[in-house]
Amino acid sequence: MFASKRLSKELSKLHDKLPPGITLIKADDFTEWLMDIRVIDSNPLYQDEVYRLKFVFSQTYPIEAPEVVFVKDEDHPIPWHPHVYSNGIICLDLLDRQGWSPVHNVESVCVSLQSMLTSNTKQERPPGDEHFVKHNKQRPKDINFVFHDNQV
Amino acid sequence: MPPGNEYAAEQLKSQGNTHFKNGDYGSAETLYSQAIQKNSKNPLLFTNRANARLKLEKWEEVIDDCLRSVELLKENMKAYFYLAQAQIAINHPNEALSSALMAYDLCTRSAQQTSNAATISALVLKCKKAKWDIRERDRIRRRADLLADLEASLEVTYKKDVSDIESRIEAGDVGKVEGAEEKGERRRDWEKRRDDLRTAFALSDPENLGKREVPDFLVDGITFEIMHDPVVTKNGRSYERATLIEHLKRNPTDPLTREPLTIAELRPNISLKDACTEFMEENKGWVYDCEDGEVDHDTRWAHLSSL
Repeated sequence: MFASKRLSKELSKLHDKLPPGITLIKADDFTEWLMDIRVIDSNPLYQDEVYRLKFVFSQTYPIEAPEVVFVKDEDHPIPWHPHVYSNGIICLDLLDRQGWSPVHNVESVCVSLQSMLTSNTKQERPPGDEHFVKHNKQRPKDINFVFHDNQV
Repeated sequence: MPPGNEYAAEQLKSQGNTHFKNGDYGSAETLYSQAIQKNSKNPLLFTNRANARLKLEKWEEVIDDCLRSVELLKENMKAYFYLAQAQIAINHPNEALSSALMAYDLCTRSAQQTSNAATISALVLKCKKAKWDIRERDRIRRRADLLADLEASLEVTYKKDVSDIESRIEAGDVGKVEGAEEKGERRRDWEKRRDDLRTAFALSDPENLGKREVPDFLVDGITFEIMHDPVVTKNGRSYERATLIEHLKRNPTDPLTREPLTIAELRPNISLKDACTEFMEENKGWVYDCEDGEVDHDTRWAHLSSL
């Protein structure tokens, strides 16, 4: 109901100023945006790489969470992380039904993902990645992730 | 009322509803009218017809229907909601605002705390903006009148000076060259005064003042809009009532702390509400300059008609 209004306000703020390492790539409408993130601290896992995030908003945003995934193309790999599947699906409490809060926004999600990568040291995929990537047909937010640990 | 009429009216009403859903508002209106002939005591028949007539832009008739519906049922949120829309359409923003506030009040007091609150809240803002627009138009007109009056009197003084000089030239008191110089001076003098006057008016125009930004403490953290009915949570943060309720219906936790939070625990934040109202009054219309166009009106009304 208020998604487009809220997103247009977010957009004007994003044009104004963004935290370091976060770039707005595409926001032509209020259904799908692309954002790029970079890890600022020197973490050898993410050196010199830029990751592309796709945000998909429903009419009920920000009451409901946006769908956020990493997208892979020639210039943008999927970052290594024990909570990021190799198809770009992210398992983060912030983005699921229970963990989302309407006070979050595109920028705060980017910052959270950026810091999730910054603090990671494991060059790993979630357990069962291969099977999940092959068989999953669900939308990311409908997946009932089991959070393996809360430290990462 | 002969027995069976109430049933007949119900039948006609549901046929009307079907036409309404299909977008055939004219047939819906006719069927509701027939239903009213069978049973003129059902307030819902009047509000349903009002909704159809809203679509048909028969504003005066919408108002009649709403008032008749209110006569039959006093606490009638839908009637006030449609009434406000018709009143705003015929450019009666004061009446529209009181109707919209009435609808909002009934909505927040109702047990269901339905999602209509957000829709009605938007209508309240729209009425406030319409009311402000009219006031602002009058103000600009008055200003323009005053400016025109002052400019005209400057011009009168200038012309009088010029004709004085001309008569002195004619009488031989001053030479032609000197006279022409004096006239040129008067003219420059007049033009400068006129420009100063225009500058003074331009400077005093609030349009040209300050940076237009709503302070963060008046802005709802969920919609990013200035609040009109803020409620405070246990941790002291305030949100717009309608949007926070939307969140709590899905997830009964505080948006910031994630502690359990229920609708019953919310309290109105009256001082903040006053601060928001005052800010809107002082900063006039630009606060409301939000993108109304993107909201799909049809879907917003649609869920109301299914009440």
